[in-house]
Amino acid sequence: MKKSDMKQQLIQLGNGAHALATQMLGNTDDAADAVHDAIVKVLKKPDAYNANNGPLKPWFMRVVRNRCIDLIRRRRPDGADVNELCESAPGPAGVLEIAQRDQALQLALSKLSSAQRQIIVLRDYLDLSYAEIAEIQEIAQGTVMSRLHRARLALKMELNRHE
Amino acid sequence: MNNEDRLIDQHVGELISGFVDGELTQQQRQLVSLHCEQCTQCGENLEDMQALRTRIGKANLSEMGEDKWRETMDEKGVQTSRSIGWLLFIAGMVAVAGVILITFLFNDEIGTGMKFILAAVYGGLLVLLYSVLRQRMIERKTDKYKDVEI
Repeated sequence: MKKSDMKQQLIQLGNGAHALATQMLGNTDDAADAVHDAIVKVLKKPDAYNANNGPLKPWFMRVVRNRCIDLIRRRRPDGADVNELCESAPGPAGVLEIAQRDQALQLALSKLSSAQRQIIVLRDYLDLSYAEIAEIQEIAQGTVMSRLHRARLALKMELNRHE
Repeated sequence: MNNEDRLIDQHVGELISGFVDGELTQQQRQLVSLHCEQCTQCGENLEDMQALRTRIGKANLSEMGEDKWRETMDEKGVQTSRSIGWLLFIAGMVAVAGVILITFLFNDEIGTGMKFILAAVYGGLLVLLYSVLRQRMIERKTDKYKDVEI
């Protein structure tokens, strides 16, 4: 892939990646830094991406997710489990920044676990396939459907509570 | 409830999500369709899941615009051009200093004593500059608090 094409695609993927990073890191500024770092890293070594292995989108989301995990580990370098560490959801300020009209949805999302928030954003917001989600989250493809369903049920319940 | 119904009832739950996402086999799709026609609860669940998916898909979960990420790319270009600028500037300054040094050393109009004094002054300044730079480099490498965010 040409570097100019890659740049153009990364610009388009930036917002989706930022939404994913926000759900993992809990605030929009750290999320922007994570996406920025991921873009710089990818453009520094564009050959690391092999177009024969699939589209850029899931690959880039995996880079962003790994960067978020690095940042979370740096916050708590005591070897604690990453899934436990990224439980923090965007706080009220972050929620307000994101969008007033989607506040109820964001509030409901913030009540879910990090893993549930991630899987919903990956599927419903970023429109990735189950196979791509399985690769990004490093889980079995068969697990994606059940996890996603549980996450959606939890989100539905939270939305009913808030609306 | 017969065995087939029980099987359908057990599995249709998460299959609803697979159905909404278009990730089921033809056989599974038929199973979910048939079940949801008969079961009001699962039918409502299916509608809710479809609505939820549409809502999240249309939501704006990031306040950043594409310009933000375009700036990230430009920033790298700016950094590269700045590095090239500094490199050229330093190379030019070293060349100028070399020419001045050679002119100074081979100038017969300046006495040896004066050459020695001026060489000591500028040489001393260079040693001091080197010492400060070296100290800064060591501090940068060994300062364990450098990553602490205030």
